[in-house]
Amino acid sequence: MDIKALQEISLALRRDVVEMVYRTKDGHPSPSFSVADIVTALYFAIMRLDPTRPDWEDRDRFVLSKGHSCPILYAALARKGYFDREELFTLRYLNSHLQGHPYAPKTKGLDATTGSLGNGVSIGLGMALAARIRRKDYQVYAITGDGELGEGMIWEAAMAASHHKVGNLTVFIDNNNYQSGGTVGEVSGPYPIEDKWQAFGWHVQTIDGHDMDQILRAVEIAHLVTDKPSAIVCKTVKGNGVSFMVGENSWHKRVYTEEEYKQAIKELGGAV
Amino acid sequence: MSTIDSTRIGFRDALLKLASERKDVVFVSTDSLKVVKGEPFLQQFPDRVLELGISEQNGVGVCSGLAASGLLPYICTYAGFLTMRACEQMRTFVSYPNLKVRFVGANGGLHGGNREGVSHQFIEDVGILRGMPNFTILCPADGGQVYEAMLASVDVEGPVYIRIGSGREDKVFPDGTPFSLGKIRILSDEGDDVALLAHGFVLGRVLEAAKKLKEEGISAKVVEVATIKPLDTAGLASVLNATGCAVTVEDHTIINGLGSAVAEVIAEGNPAYLVRLGLQDVYGESGFPEELLDAYGMRVEDIVSAAKKAMAHKKQ
Repeated sequence: MDIKALQEISLALRRDVVEMVYRTKDGHPSPSFSVADIVTALYFAIMRLDPTRPDWEDRDRFVLSKGHSCPILYAALARKGYFDREELFTLRYLNSHLQGHPYAPKTKGLDATTGSLGNGVSIGLGMALAARIRRKDYQVYAITGDGELGEGMIWEAAMAASHHKVGNLTVFIDNNNYQSGGTVGEVSGPYPIEDKWQAFGWHVQTIDGHDMDQILRAVEIAHLVTDKPSAIVCKTVKGNGVSFMVGENSWHKRVYTEEEYKQAIKELGGAV
Repeated sequence: MSTIDSTRIGFRDALLKLASERKDVVFVSTDSLKVVKGEPFLQQFPDRVLELGISEQNGVGVCSGLAASGLLPYICTYAGFLTMRACEQMRTFVSYPNLKVRFVGANGGLHGGNREGVSHQFIEDVGILRGMPNFTILCPADGGQVYEAMLASVDVEGPVYIRIGSGREDKVFPDGTPFSLGKIRILSDEGDDVALLAHGFVLGRVLEAAKKLKEEGISAKVVEVATIKPLDTAGLASVLNATGCAVTVEDHTIINGLGSAVAEVIAEGNPAYLVRLGLQDVYGESGFPEELLDAYGMRVEDIVSAAKKAMAHKKQ
């Protein structure tokens, strides 16, 4: 699939998120947008998947450690055909397959249950080690937030992953520079992010997390590094694609008015 | 009596047996190989030992990923470092998605430590896990029973917690006695005067107390409740309805452990007078394990007295 087509999908997934949050009156829109291009690249260009066989043992795995961004993941899974698009608009309602944070047993295509921060790298590491033990050649991808790096368990996992030379694990760090309480610089101190992962023995790249070409190339490079895990620090923008969400951290978790909804869909290239 | 003279050896030997029969068995170590005397496992199955260093939260997270990818991970370290330090990981990433991870908690109870004191002595583990849906909680009484519990529970769906001790437990059961998974077990049935309900490393003391009671003309049922969850409520109800009074003895806080579980059965329609022996909402302290059990109200004499107290309050 060419870059332009992937960019179109990424916009379409964002539009789905806007509609989900608008119709269901809940969810985290702007943290979904900062990872929209990464999720698109993974699900529509990179990962080995078969939506007709969600439990296929040889599939690549994905762990959304920052589980609150799941609207964008649900949108991707629906578009891949794991479930009907209409289900997106049941998000966070009783009896929905789509829990407020990812719950693997309920949602087709989900590989990991996540939500509380700091856990996804360990879960991804377990999946990557399982591939080694079971002699499978699948890849494991995880996305963690930058504020999430404050969780000590991330660094437990980082240490263990490099100790075990886990070459099939790639972690994207969504460096949008915001967390719930403000900018990452104000609230916590993960910088310099690259130096920390490097010191923990990881192969590290830094890219523009909204440049599809850079995402694809970074993953190609990560695949060439087989003796250590890969960290890809993605410079991203919270709310990317909708002007009034950028730089306005209240969109971490906020519902669109009708006017905002129409404006967001329009800016994302859609028609209301 | 069992030739497996320690709960840690019981765990290790059963793991070796399971791993030799099944390719999906993996041991996850958080620098805990020595704790469980696991070197033979490392020698025989080097590719199925994952040493993660001192990182219990990460260890449980890794177990979640392993189990979600078709393996059967066993993680064993000190009970509290699992159930307290990695409590959220056990709950949200294993119990909630109902993954098959096996947790083996060492140093359970006052008897479980080696004069370590409270930081390495765990009297809350069972209570913490009782509140988590999907968990099976097993408290075997000696090394041989740990071995049997490991084998009996291998195919149980969802997470399983097996409480083990220090390696200095009394032997209670003869070799090869099956573990009673999911059912209470009546070990001594002298009559219906009183029920003595217990699990784990205090069971020998309870049997001793029953003998003393018999000498005084009091007939007790000694009941092992080794599966705390799912609880055999029907079996317990039958015993409680027959005796009308009971004593629970547990090397654990009396809050939310065996005593509480039995109290719930009583409250839900099986009236009986209950006396709960165990840690009375206090922490322990350093000391020799048997001395500690004595000091915190679990002497044979204490069990005898509790039985008499329970009988005195029984409704006629």
